[in-house]
Amino acid sequence: MKTLIALLLLTASAAQAAPRVFVTNEEGNDVSVIDAVSNKVMQTIPVGKRPRGIGVSPDGKEVYVAVSGDNGIVVIDSATLKVVRHFNCGDDPETFAVHPNGNLYISNEENAKASVYNPKTGAMVAEIKVGLEPEGVAISPDGTRAIVTSESTNMLHLIAIPEHKTVANILVGARPRAAAFSRDSKTAYATSEISGEVKKVDVASAKVIGKMPLADDKAKPKDILPSRDGKRLFVAGGRANRVFVLDEATLAIQQEIPVGIRVWGLALNADGTRLYTTDGASGQVSVIDTVANKVVATVPVGKMPWGITIVN
Amino acid sequence: MRLPKLTRTLALGAALACAAHPAIAEVNVPLGFAGDPASTAWSGAKQGLAEAQIQGDFLGQTYTLTPRLTEVSAIIAAVPPAALKALALAHPGVPVLNVSRTEDALRSDCQPNLLHVIPSDQMRADAQAQWQKAHPGSGAEARAWHPNFEKYAASQLNHRYAEATGKAMDDAAWAGWAAVKLVSDMVAREETTDASKLLEALRARLAFDGQKGQDLSFRDNGQLRQPLLLVETNKIVGEAPVRGVADAENLDSLGPVACARAH
Repeated sequence: MKTLIALLLLTASAAQAAPRVFVTNEEGNDVSVIDAVSNKVMQTIPVGKRPRGIGVSPDGKEVYVAVSGDNGIVVIDSATLKVVRHFNCGDDPETFAVHPNGNLYISNEENAKASVYNPKTGAMVAEIKVGLEPEGVAISPDGTRAIVTSESTNMLHLIAIPEHKTVANILVGARPRAAAFSRDSKTAYATSEISGEVKKVDVASAKVIGKMPLADDKAKPKDILPSRDGKRLFVAGGRANRVFVLDEATLAIQQEIPVGIRVWGLALNADGTRLYTTDGASGQVSVIDTVANKVVATVPVGKMPWGITIVN
Repeated sequence: MRLPKLTRTLALGAALACAAHPAIAEVNVPLGFAGDPASTAWSGAKQGLAEAQIQGDFLGQTYTLTPRLTEVSAIIAAVPPAALKALALAHPGVPVLNVSRTEDALRSDCQPNLLHVIPSDQMRADAQAQWQKAHPGSGAEARAWHPNFEKYAASQLNHRYAEATGKAMDDAAWAGWAAVKLVSDMVAREETTDASKLLEALRARLAFDGQKGQDLSFRDNGQLRQPLLLVETNKIVGEAPVRGVADAENLDSLGPVACARAH
């Protein structure tokens, strides 16, 4: 009996520990859930029109999906994989970032503003004026800063938390799409899609301290992520159909990893050994070994996979 | 309104937008408009002005667009060819942005301060020829813009324009919008409102997002490089340069690049 209970407990904890990759399919109106051990889709969850941004609650229990076409956030229980609730969050939510306190910082593409919502209550906490066509949102790991990119005003808006005041507006290359912070919250990185470049920003001075063109006219970069050790940056190359690996210090391109067509989204697993990409036009997720810098698996998902996140 | 905002920012003790742009803090950016205020070029330019001001609000710049053509940073022009040439001659060193005339002769003349945001007749003809080569027997018409264009955030621009004006965005409206937006882009990047400095920068360093998926710049002949849309019975059927027939990334397969004579 004891053995049986122990076995059951072991199975339960093992099941819980298996990382799952959640992917929004923008044109499929659903979310694919991939078992990160088998690299197979274990479930497909219908969520509504045009799901794009996706993120996880700090405790890992809930997955949030920005359903742009329905002007809301859908909440999925990460254990049962069921939609448990949804709430409205203003016009055309595109992407968001989850604050360590659980709040969602959402870009409302049609409204030139970012809004802050408490996903437990669905209540709006704050609204912040930003530039035209806000898109990428990042929150510093220390929780004191947010960056919202405005695609048609070409700016990174650096916002102080909890004041929710814009403290700097940093002009960058045409159509900034995504941003990310370093683990120590001191540095930020952003991609500009039309100018095809990466910019590195010193957060304290709000100054651009480095930039790197991706040296390929076809590169229309989207997501950017620092490696877990902070020494490298991964950039989804969009139309270049490659992931660029940059040296964090110099921004020099170390490696280019071919993936599927129109690579947009990036997510890293807990120990940073696997990078998952959404390859939009290929309808697949590529799984990259970040040590060998090569694709070790491709997982067919839904139509036009866009956003991606991992529940560990 | 501006001063309290600045004070508030200072009070936060954080890095400042204004500190990062000392040269352009609290400045006026006057733009002139030559043309019919009932034209779509004008309503497009007004849309561009509203969007430039959103950026200006963050950088301490106030944009205006009026019929006054003196002491301006740039002139947006929707006037006939002879008037356009005269306008550029009368305001040397000031960028004059043509948003309505498509004659190639205006381009090959290469007046140093005359820039053309609207595509030329030859660009459209080349786009149509590429399309026919790829799709024999098909007779599409090439345009700068279409109110149903959705890709590259075009739908957002079409939506904003329709919301503000109640109209569908046509070619001249897009060109009017783009002219103001690309000038404001340079004002912000170069931190200057000086017309001749802007002219030099527009010719040399523009990388403008015209919401058509590529960065746009000016050719030596003053023409804005840009993808075109192919339209059949009011439906968008393709984009030029046409993939498979021309290099989609090389915008110079559409229309002439050089001047008719050396300058």
